[in-house]
Amino acid sequence: MTYSTNPITSLELTLPNELGYELVARDAVAAFARRLGMSLDQIDDLKTALCEACINAIEHGNSLKPDLRVEISCRVEDERLVIEVCDEGVCPFAPKSEPLSIMEKLAGLGSLRGMGLMLISQLCDESGFVSRNGTGNCFRLAFQRRHVTRLGR
Amino acid sequence: MMLEDELTVGTRDREGVAIIDLGGDVTTFAEEKINSAYREVTNKGARFVLLNFRQNDYINSAGIAILIGIVTEVNRNHQKLAVSGLSQHFQKIFRMVGLAQYAEIYQSEDEAITGFKRLNAA
Repeated sequence: MTYSTNPITSLELTLPNELGYELVARDAVAAFARRLGMSLDQIDDLKTALCEACINAIEHGNSLKPDLRVEISCRVEDERLVIEVCDEGVCPFAPKSEPLSIMEKLAGLGSLRGMGLMLISQLCDESGFVSRNGTGNCFRLAFQRRHVTRLGR
Repeated sequence: MMLEDELTVGTRDREGVAIIDLGGDVTTFAEEKINSAYREVTNKGARFVLLNFRQNDYINSAGIAILIGIVTEVNRNHQKLAVSGLSQHFQKIFRMVGLAQYAEIYQSEDEAITGFKRLNAA
């Protein structure tokens, strides 16, 4: 594929509120990140973090309601790729301050779920909820772009 | 519409190790298949259980929760658990969430079998 010399620096997607569609977002945003020249390792991190943010929006923010939507916007800011995942906010997403460790989960102290935000925070350079005009939760993920090293150029 | 690479699960025995082959996406939709395969090998008396993944599969936090549930059962049943075939990325994820403390990670099925033999001989 020949890419444009005038690079596209933003991408918007709207997803149905159904589990599984996070994979559509994952594949689209991964393709966008590849066009930006990001490394494969970083794209793997991005894919997992984005899926977790989408799952939170679908399951928690939009409470699995099929008539709602999840909006995703990606834009390049200097050397960062910034992604926002926004739901329609049937429920304000209010995670517990500290997720349980695996040891606590194995001891039966809480749900086995609830590791998504922890994963996101470890995989991204920056992550967290941001304020938004109107209703809904908006979660921002940012990656400092680490480019693929092209030998011999 | 099914967007996922729907999980196929198979069980087999190799040199005293119960292998659960997982091909496809490990998400919330995988729970019944994985738990059923684990119950099957446990009912047959498995002491060593290997979860054998395919390199390019997708595992999300709901899938990880299912695997933590398997760890709970493995501990209760005094079995040993290992995983093989994970991509480098998901090996990193398993370490991040702490699963690597409870299941040895091997690059391949062959390495896992060798590891279990060593464990059995110790």
